[in-house]
Amino acid sequence: MLERQSRLRMPLAGILIIVVGALTIGPVLMLVIGSFSKGIGAIGAFTTDKYVAAYTDPTLPKTLLNTVIFTLGAACFSTILGGLLAYLSVRTDIPFSGLFRVLPIVPMMIPHVLFAAAWIALLNPTNGMLNLFLRNLFGLSSGPFNIYSLGGMIFLEGMLDLPVTYLVISPAMYSFDTTLEEASRVSGASNLYTLRRVTLPILKPAFLATFTLAIIRTLAAFAIPSMVGMPGRIHILTTHIYRIISVGWSPDYGRAAALGLIVLAASIILVYLYRHLISEGSQYVTVTGKGYRPTVVELGRARYPLFILCIVLFCFLVVIPLATLIYMSFLPYSMVPSARAVSMMNLRNWHTVLRNSVIVRALKNSVFLSIAGATLGIVLSLFVAYVVVKVKSKGSALLESLSFLSFSFPGMIIGVGFMWFLVRTPLYATIWGLLVAYVGTYLPYGVRPLRSAFMQIDEELEESARVFGASFLRALNDIIVPLLAPGVVSAWILMACMFIRELSVSVVLSRPGTEVLTVEIMKLANDGLWGQVAALGIIMIGLSTALVIVASLLRIPLSHSEQ
Amino acid sequence: MQGMVSVKNLVKTFASKDETVTALDNVTLATPANRILTLLGPSGCGKTTLLRCIAGLESPVSGEISIGGEVVWSKEQGISLPPERRGIGMVFQSYAIWPHMTVFGNVAYPLEIRRTPKQEIRERVRKILDLVKLSGFENRLATKLSGGQQQRVALARALVAEPKVILFDEPLSNLDAKLRESTRQELRDFLTELAISAIYVTHDQVEALTISDHIAIMRGGVIVEQGTPQDIYLRSNNPFVVDFIGRANFLDATIKGYKDQHHAIVSCALGDIVCSAPSDLVIGTKVTIYTRPESFEVAPPSSVPTENEFEGTVTSLLFAGEAHEAEILVGGARILAKLKFHIPLKKGEKVRLHVDREWCRALNPGEEA
Ligand SMILES: Nc1ncnc2c1ncn2[C@@H]1O[C@H](COP(=O)(O)OP(=O)(O)OP(=O)(O)O)[C@@H](O)[C@H]1O
Ligand SMILES: [Mg+2]
Repeated sequence: MLERQSRLRMPLAGILIIVVGALTIGPVLMLVIGSFSKGIGAIGAFTTDKYVAAYTDPTLPKTLLNTVIFTLGAACFSTILGGLLAYLSVRTDIPFSGLFRVLPIVPMMIPHVLFAAAWIALLNPTNGMLNLFLRNLFGLSSGPFNIYSLGGMIFLEGMLDLPVTYLVISPAMYSFDTTLEEASRVSGASNLYTLRRVTLPILKPAFLATFTLAIIRTLAAFAIPSMVGMPGRIHILTTHIYRIISVGWSPDYGRAAALGLIVLAASIILVYLYRHLISEGSQYVTVTGKGYRPTVVELGRARYPLFILCIVLFCFLVVIPLATLIYMSFLPYSMVPSARAVSMMNLRNWHTVLRNSVIVRALKNSVFLSIAGATLGIVLSLFVAYVVVKVKSKGSALLESLSFLSFSFPGMIIGVGFMWFLVRTPLYATIWGLLVAYVGTYLPYGVRPLRSAFMQIDEELEESARVFGASFLRALNDIIVPLLAPGVVSAWILMACMFIRELSVSVVLSRPGTEVLTVEIMKLANDGLWGQVAALGIIMIGLSTALVIVASLLRIPLSHSEQ
Repeated sequence: MQGMVSVKNLVKTFASKDETVTALDNVTLATPANRILTLLGPSGCGKTTLLRCIAGLESPVSGEISIGGEVVWSKEQGISLPPERRGIGMVFQSYAIWPHMTVFGNVAYPLEIRRTPKQEIRERVRKILDLVKLSGFENRLATKLSGGQQQRVALARALVAEPKVILFDEPLSNLDAKLRESTRQELRDFLTELAISAIYVTHDQVEALTISDHIAIMRGGVIVEQGTPQDIYLRSNNPFVVDFIGRANFLDATIKGYKDQHHAIVSCALGDIVCSAPSDLVIGTKVTIYTRPESFEVAPPSSVPTENEFEGTVTSLLFAGEAHEAEILVGGARILAKLKFHIPLKKGEKVRLHVDREWCRALNPGEEA
């Protein structure tokens, strides 16, 4: 029985390596080949022209500078705020700290495009509602805020990364041994000196890791740079690449690939740095003796001001965008809330959206991609996780690295790789092509939670059932499945949510006939149809919220997987 | 009494969701200068809380704390000095060694805060590391040390700035038994040599008895008794203290009369014996008397029966290395006696024992164990 088992496992590992390899290395390889090819979208003779063209572009230096400012700015912003929120919720007596537990699942519900759309509707310089309001209030000639700026982009991207940085840094705060600070106080150091010499240095690896992760995410960001940056002519690398393939009659995928490869390389290096920092941080986790209890830092007079700060952040992140979207979806055009505005509310946007055949198709496509993609992704992840955990061989180690590779891949760029890849297959410009690209890009989000689920299943438990005469299938049915089910369901829901709001891969691969929701929302936003954006957005939020609610009814923790 | 550290009527409560715990209930305590005071008591009695209040890591509800004659916390006067201005050193149970610093960095830290010149820092750190036998470990990362070495780094760090008082919270509880014993001795030697005042928290009674000059026994947030280790072990009249420290035979007894002011004649299972007792008890009062197992000795043979001699039967016998632990049945009571190992004893045989009137004591009536 055991022998048959291992004879079965070897080819399984081989097949998985080929499949996962094709999905992760494949697009990268195509990206490299494409960048050295003559022609525009097809593989041709060898040339370095694309690199010359890409790197001598006179707008590139400015783009790079913008990229650096945007990336570092947003990463700093989200790391500092995430660190502050984590500190407040874990270490202090801030009121209603239960509120913080909602934070990590917020991004599952409000997709980046909609967040951007809501804030643009509020803060764009011509008719942003908040700008209009402030203009009337203070009699200004123009709106005080311009969201189409680097500052605006940094603010929005930083807010969007906040839940992630919060989630990554909280564990470090939890495991922090507060007697280390007390030892400093009794040694004669003030609170501030202690913070500088003890607390922050000990948390430094955790902060650096969080910062690195924030950089990786910002480098791959597409929704904010395209919706907020492009109207303001502030281009960063991803939008620069996007323009190469989307503006003009002949999208030059080779040039896009030539540029994309440096972003990819930078991401891969950063991911290695991140892993290194995480392991360094764990060295500082001190063994705490028995008398240890986390002392709550009393905020005293700062308690309520800090709480209000948290509430404001929470409003910025959830309440304001959501309220704006709902409000806008009933209005024919942007206007400041008033009696007149209320009297003009109607359902026209909803009708228009739902009667638009392209949008209805996009809706169907997105739901299909979400359900089929998550199912396919989870089935593949199950096999991969099983082999990675239960088969100990060189092959399974290779499989593990392969399945984590795409963590570092910016979706836009890997989209270009898939584009090269799919053009050579009948899948190109079909919904199946998108499906393959989704699964390939987001595989780590399925493998990771399932791997930990498999690790929890005690090997002996599984084997004892087989020794007692149960066949492999029985063991699968009686023991493995019940223990694995919660993990599988939560990973499925997570993936389904991610696919509903997928933007950066789709924006490259979506073609007439294979439209998806987010791309259509972006197009509506580009045309300034905010009412329709809002109506469609709410439908979208409804879909992912329904998924999250199902998950929480099943009492499935979702937050861990966002890391 | 004005001491190095004195605590007056200190109250500390912890409020949680549905109840408040009174961790310190009107504690008054004074430590003599250059002596080691131990706070001893069962788990949860408030030892750590008291220590942390003295250190300034916890703020009390009411009362007063002064260190070296200076008031550092007082409800009435509205004084509350932060920990860094109390001039203390502290060794934590978990050692709290900073993992991102070397041994040198850890020990030099208190001096750096005080802006001591670099040269002097090096000199003093070298000296103190010498003292705790850690020379040569200066550049080791503090986390790469054994438990015992970490404990000594913590000690060096607490001592280096020459604090007025040094506080210890169960500093040896993370060491294994063997190391604990030798470190205990070393620690006592250091502290006596440096002539430093120390408050030492432990729930290990042997540790308390061997290391301290004074012991304060705590229970449920209250200090029930204070004294030298001898006072506490041999001369306490408090039922809780007697029960908590060491082992004791408790016997019900009735006062029959007084020998002198401090010694009463009582009748009990051992017969009529003389014991030390409070002087104001009425004849016929029911009391509990106790004896320590070590205070029994085999009575010399063939002598005329003297005071406090009685005969019993050995019902069980345990050889415990340095002594026999014998259970003896006398007058319907079973008592435990620790007897010298060279005395031949056999199970089932009769034996005559003697106990000195000083080591046979009546407990304060009305108090509970
Ligand atoms: N931060 C706190 N919050 C709530 N209750 C507390 C807190 N600290 C201590 N207590 C309570 O106060 C009482 C005294 O605790 P303390 O830690 O001083 O005991 P201890 O004598 O040091 O015990 P141990 O020997 O186990 O260390 C206990 O009942 C404890 O539960
Ligand atoms: Mg304690």
